[in-house]
Amino acid sequence: MKKKLLIAGVALAVIVYLKQPERKKRFLKEILRQVPFLIPRYYA
Amino acid sequence: MADYDVIVIGAGCGGLSAGALLARQGRRVLVVEQSGIIGGCCSTFEKEGFRFDLGASLIEDAEVINWCFERLGTSLPQEVDLVSCDPVYDVILKDGTRLKYPISSEESAKSIGAVAPGDVKGWHAYAEYMQGFLDAALKGFFVAPANSNADLVRLFRKTPELLRYGPMFVSSYQGVIEKYFKDPRIRESIAFQSFFGGLPPNTCPGYIAMVPWSEHAGIYYSKGGMIGIPRALERCGGKHGMTVRLKTRVDSVIVRNRRALGVVLADGTEITSDLVVSDINAKLLYLEMIGEEHLPWLARVGIKSYEYSMATPMLYLGVDYTPPLEGHHTLITRPMEELNDYWWNVYKKGRFGNEHFGIVSWTSHSDPGLAPEGHHVLVLTLQPGPYRLRGTGWDDCKSALTEQIIRYMSDRYIPGLADHVKVAELSTPLDFERRLLSPEGAIYALRQDLTSGVAFRPAAKSKSIKGLYLVGASTHPGGGVPTTIASGMIAADLIQKYE
Repeated sequence: MKKKLLIAGVALAVIVYLKQPERKKRFLKEILRQVPFLIPRYYA
Repeated sequence: MADYDVIVIGAGCGGLSAGALLARQGRRVLVVEQSGIIGGCCSTFEKEGFRFDLGASLIEDAEVINWCFERLGTSLPQEVDLVSCDPVYDVILKDGTRLKYPISSEESAKSIGAVAPGDVKGWHAYAEYMQGFLDAALKGFFVAPANSNADLVRLFRKTPELLRYGPMFVSSYQGVIEKYFKDPRIRESIAFQSFFGGLPPNTCPGYIAMVPWSEHAGIYYSKGGMIGIPRALERCGGKHGMTVRLKTRVDSVIVRNRRALGVVLADGTEITSDLVVSDINAKLLYLEMIGEEHLPWLARVGIKSYEYSMATPMLYLGVDYTPPLEGHHTLITRPMEELNDYWWNVYKKGRFGNEHFGIVSWTSHSDPGLAPEGHHVLVLTLQPGPYRLRGTGWDDCKSALTEQIIRYMSDRYIPGLADHVKVAELSTPLDFERRLLSPEGAIYALRQDLTSGVAFRPAAKSKSIKGLYLVGASTHPGGGVPTTIASGMIAADLIQKYE
């Protein structure tokens, strides 16, 4: 059940993302690209 | 005993404001500057009788700068001869439409109404919302440290109204502008200011959309050139014993047991101090002047992950006629989507377009003394230009590019320009790097977005090296004259609290 919910959640997030206008996609993409560095940057 | 209490590396506005305030605290302060002139990006140089501003061509949020002078026992108007610039911009859109933005909000509404009556209501709503944000930001955000979660909690406790503006922090500049304005020409007329945040409209954080409004609180030019502001800071610091040494390049920071103990100059001289304040690019400071070996691994990953901010070529022109322009600032812009397209498909691909846009600063309009009689000074801040130019080098194409830009501007926007140029100097990203030691010619040091801002920007009180403090564009609140001066105030406050 948990697995199904997780898959449904991810699928929903992908659909919502794909439905966004191009400028919003670009903005989100740029933020997501930088997310892995947030913790190291907090300690910089 | 150390040679000085504090050594400040770099005599930009951040370094000088921190130095002056620390000297006023009674500390022995030495400011070392690699070039022969103070001010960093806010400086002025002379060539063949014309005085050109190196980077900054105006100040806004003068209130913040005034706070610094008040802490020094004086005031901005007492120290700097300021000229008010009105209108903020004369905007020329791609289709040739001209639109003026006077300082007065009502007058600006009339200008908008003449082009797009439907957007007047949007202008008033935008003005009201942004004024609220500006008030909240000035009260806390600009002059409060953002080193830790605790700082952020304190910031929001002090200015809870900032929370109301949360949506702007998770939206893009373009998203905010499009919410208030429907006519593409009005959107175009305030699209370019996203580059003041160092990014195109679709990537720039939404809170930068405050800029086109904050300019209406007044923009000013320093008579005699923008160097008037750093000179005033140097003068005030000097009264409290601050020393500024020019043409003194720092090679490295002395670090022992993760504590900054002074600097080593390029000629090998060691100068010791209890504290070091850095007004240089944080990546350059940590990776080259301090060395990775002194950094904890997490900080090392963080510092390396920062991207440099955009670079912008500038063209300095001395002309022997009165240019047919309307005021201090003419903004030659492009539709929002074209700005985005330029960024991703031209600039990011290592090219510098042939169709130029940007800001023309007619500085001698505000201060005729900048040029010989009958002559004028124009400074063109052009569209972003990549540091690494594909297929050629900046030095190789400089002369041809200068000619092409002059011809382009003359044919389209400034009639007669090409026949009246007496002095022309193009400053490329490479020149900017050489002149100011700013890596990759970055004008705001590091990229400025949500993921490299506030608590995610290099901390004002170093988390890796004791006794090391950061000021300038590399740290919170970021690049710009008032913001770097604010960073100097933040560092001085932190030092007073902890050292």
